[in-house]
Amino acid sequence: MRAFALARRRDVPGLLGYALFVALMTAGYYYNITFVQLGLIDLGTRVVGLPRTTVSLWMGVLALCTFVAAVAFGVAMDRRGWSTSLRTKLRILLGVVAVQFVLTVAAPFVETAPAFGAWIVAGSIALGVGFPTSFALAIDTIPVPDRGYVAALITAVTYGLANAIPLEWSIDVFATVMTVAMLPGILVLGAVASGRVSAIETVLDDLATNHHDYGRGRFNHPDPVSTRSLAFLAPLVLMFGVFFVDSLGFLRIIETPTLLLTSWQSPRLETRLAIAVAHVLGALAAGVLYTNFSKNGVFLWIFALFALSHVLYTTDLRIASVFPAAASDPALANPLLYAIAVSFYTTLNFALWPDLATTATIGTHSAIGIGMAGWLATFTSTAVALYLAHADVTLLTHLNLVNALALLLLFGLAVGLYAKRMHDIATRHDDPTDRDQQEYDDGAADPTADRATTEGDR
Amino acid sequence: MSVLDTLPLLVVVLLLVAGSGADPDAVLVAFDGDQTPDELAGPDASGPLVVAGGQFTVPANASVDGALYVVGGTATVEGTVDGDVTVLAGNLTVADPGVVAGELQSIGGQTDVAAGATVARRTSVDVTPRERTLAERVGVLAMQALALAALAFLLARRYPTALATVGDAATDHALVSGVVGALAGTTLLVGLVAMAFTIVLIPVSVLGVFAEFLVVAYAIVAVGARLGRVFPIERNDVAAATGTAALVVALDLLDAVPVVGALVALAVVCVGLGAVLVTYFGLQRFEPVQLPG
Repeated sequence: MRAFALARRRDVPGLLGYALFVALMTAGYYYNITFVQLGLIDLGTRVVGLPRTTVSLWMGVLALCTFVAAVAFGVAMDRRGWSTSLRTKLRILLGVVAVQFVLTVAAPFVETAPAFGAWIVAGSIALGVGFPTSFALAIDTIPVPDRGYVAALITAVTYGLANAIPLEWSIDVFATVMTVAMLPGILVLGAVASGRVSAIETVLDDLATNHHDYGRGRFNHPDPVSTRSLAFLAPLVLMFGVFFVDSLGFLRIIETPTLLLTSWQSPRLETRLAIAVAHVLGALAAGVLYTNFSKNGVFLWIFALFALSHVLYTTDLRIASVFPAAASDPALANPLLYAIAVSFYTTLNFALWPDLATTATIGTHSAIGIGMAGWLATFTSTAVALYLAHADVTLLTHLNLVNALALLLLFGLAVGLYAKRMHDIATRHDDPTDRDQQEYDDGAADPTADRATTEGDR
Repeated sequence: MSVLDTLPLLVVVLLLVAGSGADPDAVLVAFDGDQTPDELAGPDASGPLVVAGGQFTVPANASVDGALYVVGGTATVEGTVDGDVTVLAGNLTVADPGVVAGELQSIGGQTDVAAGATVARRTSVDVTPRERTLAERVGVLAMQALALAALAFLLARRYPTALATVGDAATDHALVSGVVGALAGTTLLVGLVAMAFTIVLIPVSVLGVFAEFLVVAYAIVAVGARLGRVFPIERNDVAAATGTAALVVALDLLDAVPVVGALVALAVVCVGLGAVLVTYFGLQRFEPVQLPG
């Protein structure tokens, strides 16, 4: 890890860069998976009194607005050069966090449908501006070789905390906790972005030039990845599938009281700690795999883990339908496996988009990547999950559907990779003049032969 | 007891039922609550009954026509069981004046037969492992070490490069190998157990577990051969055999250290298993992706 080298050199600005990025991403992600994903459903249904289908529609609006705002702002960041200006990004983030603070304080007081809609639109714009900006900090703070491990750390801390210290899933509790947590965060970020603290300015001066070295992500060699290339679109589709599969299953699982007993809302501390440990170990394993293997290998693991955990969930449900009394005490193995799968894809998500971008595309690629694969997929599946629940689709049928999707993506990816390999081989046979380039692409020129082949989805 | 905890024993019961010639579809299972044969099976049912949880009582004036299996919970026989009674786990009490007309077989769990109760035939299978003497332990360990050392000797003579490739991956890329080994080992095991639950795939599951066992043995041999390379022994095959024997003994000795010993042994096995997998059993050297920057 480069961080160890920085520590040996006592490069304090470099290490503070890591800390800043991890802190911002962890706080942002925790806010999203708790306050936004769970709190807003409670706000809409319980406080405002809207039907679940209406709330699901508003969640779809939130996703769409966030996506549009993110893409618009991400493109603007790249075109105006904000992506490479560390201080500009920090000031933008300060503004975003300040707006989110006001929205968070105001959320429990939202009581009418129009106010709820207005909150959703304002919140989505803040989110849309915030996440491409925070992802773009990677090019100032995190060296390319360390992105997998840093992503693993962000995932491990976020899910470890969320599981070990669970909150009641109500907007009041989320709003109180977030308000208390955001206040010191705003003060620190204000000091960092103010430009008036000389010690901080020295650190920022040091970090501000890093994008020359860290700006070109892992998958941009030898040529940069363009937004319309298969190298960008293929992981985009796969990540969309991952987020969709996860949220579709998760939202139904947390609606089922017996399954909730073994989720992060379990009343038992040992259950929550076991899930927290599984999340942490899963994240660290994903970090190691991302750093040492091709991203396709990590994708295959994710889909395999999701498929396996849903096979176990559905097996449990089938047995419980035959022996109803057995359903009262579900096995812990399922949520543990599920937690590992979630940590895997979350880690990949944090590392992938900066690695698919350069300094010229970090804003756009992060916005499209997270906006489409993350937000749009999550809230589309939220809407579908709520609709299916409203349509009285049974839990077994619902999870069967999720399992089918996971299996389809797993086998689709495996077949796709195999077909691509076949195509590469066939192309090489057809065009002997291009043999040298093919050998280079396949890594025959260096000892990383096989790895370079799997890496070569450019 | 959860479904997944009970299921392996239920699978065993289904196999026993099928082996006895009875219809597995007719099996009825009591999972919880207080139940009697009439409540569980109805007055006309005659299929085998399985007690997996809760309290199951055959009252003094009642009888069970078929076999009774206990895999969890508590079963009390105050009346008559015409068939055999098998206890795999849980508790069984044959109270006075209870009658078991068939064979009462105790394999696991707790079985109590009151003095006034009638049991036609009683057998018990002691599955509790006997505490081995020191000589027996040393003998078994020596056998294991010799067997794996012989395997290492043969592999080092026939496939020295493959063995060396796996060993190098285990030492040069221990973290990656460990992660891959732990992940693959766990998911394979979970997948194989899930296969066993389908009953139809039990043979595949058994074969899979056997295959995983062979891969682990190969991993231990490869790591042992790597260890042998640090010994001052010139011949490769002898060094591999010596290293493997030393590793087997070391893994056994680690057992004596509580918790940490088991974790270290598990880590060594995971690293070895991962090294086997990332090198395709030693056919190809493992090199991590080259990251720019």
